[in-house]
Amino acid sequence: MKRFMNLKPSKVTAFFLGLLPFIIAGIFYIVASDLRLAENPNDKLLPSMASFSEAIDRMALTPSKRTGEILFIEDTSASLHRLGLGILISAVLAMLIGIPLGFIPFVRAGFSPFVAAFSMVPPMAILPILFIVFGMGEIAKVALIVIGVTPLIVRDLQQRVSEIPAEQFIKAQTLGGSSWSIVIRVILPQIFPRLLDSVRLTLGTAWIFLISAEAISATEGLGYRIFLVRRYMSMDVILPYVAWITFLAFLFDYLLKKLTYKLFPWYSAGKENA
Amino acid sequence: MSLITIKNLWKEYGDNVVLERLNLNIEEGEFCTLVGPSGCGKTTFLKMLLGQETPTKGTFLLDGKPFPDEPSIERGIVFQRYSVFEHLSVLGNVLLSMELKESKFFGRLFGKKRKEAKEKAMQMLESVGLGDAAHKYPSELSGGMQQRLSIAQSLVIKPKILLLDEPFGALDPGIRADMHTLILDLWKRNNLTVIMVTHDLHESFYLGSRLLVFDKVRYDEQAPNAYGARITYDIPVGNEKGAILTKVDKSRKKETNNYDN
Amino acid sequence: MKNIFQSTSKLLVAATLVMGLGASSLMAEVKDKFTVSWTIYVGWMPWDYAQQKGIVDKWAKKYGIEIDLVQVNDYIESINQYTAGKFDGCLMTNMDALTIPAAGGVDSTALIMGDFSNGNDGIILKGKKNLADIKGQDVNLVELSVSHYLLARGLESVGLSERDVKVVNTSDADIVAAYSSNDVTALVPWNPQLSEIMTKKDANLVFDSSKIPGEIIDMLVINTEILKDNPKLAKALTGAWFEVMSLMKKGDTKALTFMAEASGTDLAGYKSQLKSTKMFYDPKEAVEFADSSALPNTMKKVSEFSFNHGLLGEGAPDAGFIGMEFPNGKRFGDPKNIKLRFIDTYVKMAAEGKL
Repeated sequence: MKRFMNLKPSKVTAFFLGLLPFIIAGIFYIVASDLRLAENPNDKLLPSMASFSEAIDRMALTPSKRTGEILFIEDTSASLHRLGLGILISAVLAMLIGIPLGFIPFVRAGFSPFVAAFSMVPPMAILPILFIVFGMGEIAKVALIVIGVTPLIVRDLQQRVSEIPAEQFIKAQTLGGSSWSIVIRVILPQIFPRLLDSVRLTLGTAWIFLISAEAISATEGLGYRIFLVRRYMSMDVILPYVAWITFLAFLFDYLLKKLTYKLFPWYSAGKENA
Repeated sequence: MSLITIKNLWKEYGDNVVLERLNLNIEEGEFCTLVGPSGCGKTTFLKMLLGQETPTKGTFLLDGKPFPDEPSIERGIVFQRYSVFEHLSVLGNVLLSMELKESKFFGRLFGKKRKEAKEKAMQMLESVGLGDAAHKYPSELSGGMQQRLSIAQSLVIKPKILLLDEPFGALDPGIRADMHTLILDLWKRNNLTVIMVTHDLHESFYLGSRLLVFDKVRYDEQAPNAYGARITYDIPVGNEKGAILTKVDKSRKKETNNYDN
Repeated sequence: MKNIFQSTSKLLVAATLVMGLGASSLMAEVKDKFTVSWTIYVGWMPWDYAQQKGIVDKWAKKYGIEIDLVQVNDYIESINQYTAGKFDGCLMTNMDALTIPAAGGVDSTALIMGDFSNGNDGIILKGKKNLADIKGQDVNLVELSVSHYLLARGLESVGLSERDVKVVNTSDADIVAAYSSNDVTALVPWNPQLSEIMTKKDANLVFDSSKIPGEIIDMLVINTEILKDNPKLAKALTGAWFEVMSLMKKGDTKALTFMAEASGTDLAGYKSQLKSTKMFYDPKEAVEFADSSALPNTMKKVSEFSFNHGLLGEGAPDAGFIGMEFPNGKRFGDPKNIKLRFIDTYVKMAAEGKL
């Protein structure tokens, strides 16, 4: 008998092992839910599977009586729009700030301490200032994501730029490159896949800021819906929404990873070799 | 006038004297190999030639003018590692040399110029034996092929001096031998001036037309950094063209004279 | 095989109970330790005073029980926790009692109606002076809360409906800051945010809860089954409450200052908030209010509003889906589904000095 640490599960076994915790959690939920519903058929904390499917039908398949829209689609598209815009702006800003920060000593000396300090400011704590500057509308929600996420990406990119071997910059200079042409021909293309990596890692944070922004003030959105129905404890709506958000986050992570490898074949190959 | 003129050159970091009283002339077409124990300043010397470091005092001239104090187009470099661009194909890497040199703002060539540059790049790649690998990425190349690429990248824009910083140190012996053949061949055909740092004595004797040994002449055990290294041996080597050997002899004599002054 | 299945499910049930996810009423029985949750609000500060000064303990001891008042920072969370069975009682408004615990199937009883909002909730317009000007504006408020209800009642009073405005859900914690933003022109806050916003430039109060007196009621709600099994709890709580009420009626500066500071303001600030709160200092007043015919009417309106906003649950066929019971046998809605009860039993005992 081999040591336990040396035993490896087969592919099929691994798949079922991975599935097991989900199944256990599911069974656990159903039992707990049944218990509560047996005592109080109207219990809202742990709704039955039937009420989930009712809620899903109501939110995702039937147009709302009041607006004629399908709420679930409306919420999802509003949230994704904000999230996408926030991430896009953050990524562009982060490139504009992070590359000079990592590459130009004068910029680093001037701004690095400020960026480091700024990235520690919890945006939720300075909300009133954000409201006055950005208003309460769409801009404010996107701004909250941008303020929350940009410093993280900036610092990551700064780190990535300074990790590019100095040999490359010297080589490029001996080939006649200027600061500018080295940025656009050497740094930018090498940093781009790392930017996508960085975005992938900050997506979770971006979601948190999105949901918070929508909880503070909104008329639609995934976070809005969750915080609204929380007012009458509609877990039958909240839990499917949470599952959907989890799925979306997982999907984006996966797609960004695929996209990175597709767009930058040299990047993945380099990673494997390293 | 020599290509490189060095008179009474010092390099210090605070109290730490790295190089002292260097006197040296290097002529066009020479192939100098630099050897010496680690910490003897041969890498610092190469960095000064490259423009990464500046001398503390002394005369340091390229073509009779002071050396540019940052890396520039006059001096090509091949490092032991990391000197090719992983995000560009092999062809792209060589093209980049001409693009950076000729297009200051975009760093790119278009149309006819690009076509010409491409042809030139392909010729260069053929001459280093990478013709078939033009569309591969560096990560798909072996270590030796990556070094061939790095050499091609520098040579395509014809630098006055080609600096090599232990370029073959990480390669397998068999591949190293191939690279020796290649570099000698390129040197002869293009009349290059090459300065190469190596820790492989055999290589330094075999490759160069001139061997420079760096070492500390004086050593104080109480203050190991008080004295810097100097060139302790300067000998013509290799089995190369007589003309060069004569040139080397001449510059050696000049240098010895300087020593005595 | 069947045995294994049975024991597994038994194990799961046990584990579920251990994790505290079991149903609330499983625990409904005669007991001697109770927890009641409260949140900071002008009309509920007396509970904090009663707890801190040992008045609750004194009354609990008298009836041989223990009562723990737990402060929860988030109002909705405290009601949700109560509904989920974590607390035996909780402080909430009449509307939330209907839409959260009652709609969630937790039979609840309003033990003490302590006060009603008499100006504590209001509609503010920036720049404009008349409520009718609200037409076409975005209105920032906590959606589906009493603010929303107040807005609906206000709109009704000037012949408008919710279709004429756009409601923007805005968290109560951020509504003061929201006022400073240029794109916010109409808000429905409650106190203390209401008075804070009123100190700002261009803020005009165009409607407030004093125009719909007795419709927004703050009350102590107890789980009906627990109440049935433990009348001692009701007696102790009612006794403690009216002891503090008599202090407040006398204008006991010490007690009021304590409450003011605990709610984060000063005596003057607290007194001004009390002005817009109709407290029932005298138990007789509370009995009168509970017995009045206005109460069932109010709850009917609240029920209709809640039904129109889907708050009674999607299965609700009409506004009467959740039955309510009032003193003197009055009822509203489905008598087979009574989930919210208003009683005067214990307040009456207090009025008659029988506690």
